[in-house]
Order: sequence, then C-alpha cells, then structure tokens
Amino acid sequence: MTIDDHKEFPVDSASLKEIRNFAREVLAKDEMFSSTKDDVVLAIAEAAQNIVKHAYSGQPTGDTMRVEITFKDNELKIDLYDKGKPVIPENIKPRQIDDVKPGGLGTFFIGQIMDEVIFKTSASDWVNHLILTKNY
Amino acid sequence: MSYKISEEGNVATVHLDGEIDMDVTEKAKEVIMPLIEAGKEVHLNLKEVQYMDSSGISVLIESHQKAAELGTKVILKEISKSVLKVIMMAKLEQILIIE
Repeated sequence: MTIDDHKEFPVDSASLKEIRNFAREVLAKDEMFSSTKDDVVLAIAEAAQNIVKHAYSGQPTGDTMRVEITFKDNELKIDLYDKGKPVIPENIKPRQIDDVKPGGLGTFFIGQIMDEVIFKTSASDWVNHLILTKNY
Repeated sequence: MSYKISEEGNVATVHLDGEIDMDVTEKAKEVIMPLIEAGKEVHLNLKEVQYMDSSGISVLIESHQKAAELGTKVILKEISKSVLKVIMMAKLEQILIIE
C-alpha cells in the first residue's frame, strides 16, 4: 500500500484542527495506522504549531504551510514546508522532561512519537522543510 | 472547545469539552485562572476532551503551579483516555493531581 497526499493550510492557529482532520483522514486509509494514528496526528499538529508559533512568531500572515503525508516501503513520511524565519536546528531542543514548566513539550512529543526528525532549509519555493519519519 | 462551570462551596468544577489546542488555550486560561485566583479549589473534568496537545498540557501545568502558589489546588477528574496518554507521555502523572 502506498499513500501520497498533500494539502496547504493558512499559517494560523485556527488551521491546526483542519490539519489534524486531514492527517486523520489520510491515516484512516489503512488499518496499519490504527494503533499509532492519534500519536502521529499529535506529532504533525505539534510540528504545524511550531511553524505558527516559532517560524512566524504567532504573527498574522497570508502565507500557507504545506503538509505532505507519504507511505511507501513501510515508512511513513511527513513533510512540512513553510516560508517563515529560517529554523536553526541547533537551537531546537526539546524540554528536559524533569523540568516542569509550560512550553517546549511539542518538540519532545514529536521526538517521542516519530523515529526520525530532520530539519532542512533548502526547500525550493519554501524556507523550512521538516521531515518526520516513522517505520512500520 | 466548550465549557461549563458549576460551583459548590469553595469548589469550582469546570467541564471542558472538545479539542484543546493552541487555538483555544487563551480561552481555557480565561475560564480557569480567575477561579484559581479567587482561591477556589478547581476540579477540571476532562471526560469529554477528545484531544489535547502541548499547549493544552501547558495550561494544566500553569494552572497547577498557580494554584500551588496561591495555596489551593487543581484536580484533574475523569480524564479521557487520549488526554491521559498525552499527560503520561509528558511524564506529568506524578506531578499533576489526578483523581
């Protein structure tokens, strides 16, 4: 089975629900994802939230972000693209889990759920490209 | 997200409903924080919350910490399975008050 779906969303916190629904619809295409679907949806939504919150500093914009979900050769791959501030990968650190404070949890969740997280800043037509993968 | 508040004595129970993400965290704080600041013991019923992300978890942490600072507490009640999973992923089940 292969999946190859994509959609663009306005960079806005109001888009997060739509992004979750898009991810849920795509992952509902195969039973294989049933036990991990909620986790993967959370990881995608956290990554999208980071775009709104950090790449655009929560400021209103007319830009869109692109979410691609592909599944091939037992690998689920999520690509997120945006045109916000370039991400400096070294500056992205998940919160220390014993440090109880609000914030910094999203990146921690993504790392817990996905097998690999890669940041790129060389996407054509975009600025940031985040790649999340999970093997099945 | 929608909510319903009931009060009995010094206990305010907030029933939250729906999905709690970055888009609604300010609204959630506007509902919960004044109750804590009024010195109420706040019971957050999360039975009908189907989804919570890191922003929602941050509201729980902030509420818990604010309550402790003011000498009261926030107790999480009837947590839905999906929210409990996220709380446990954040390793907060020993820190937040859960009943």
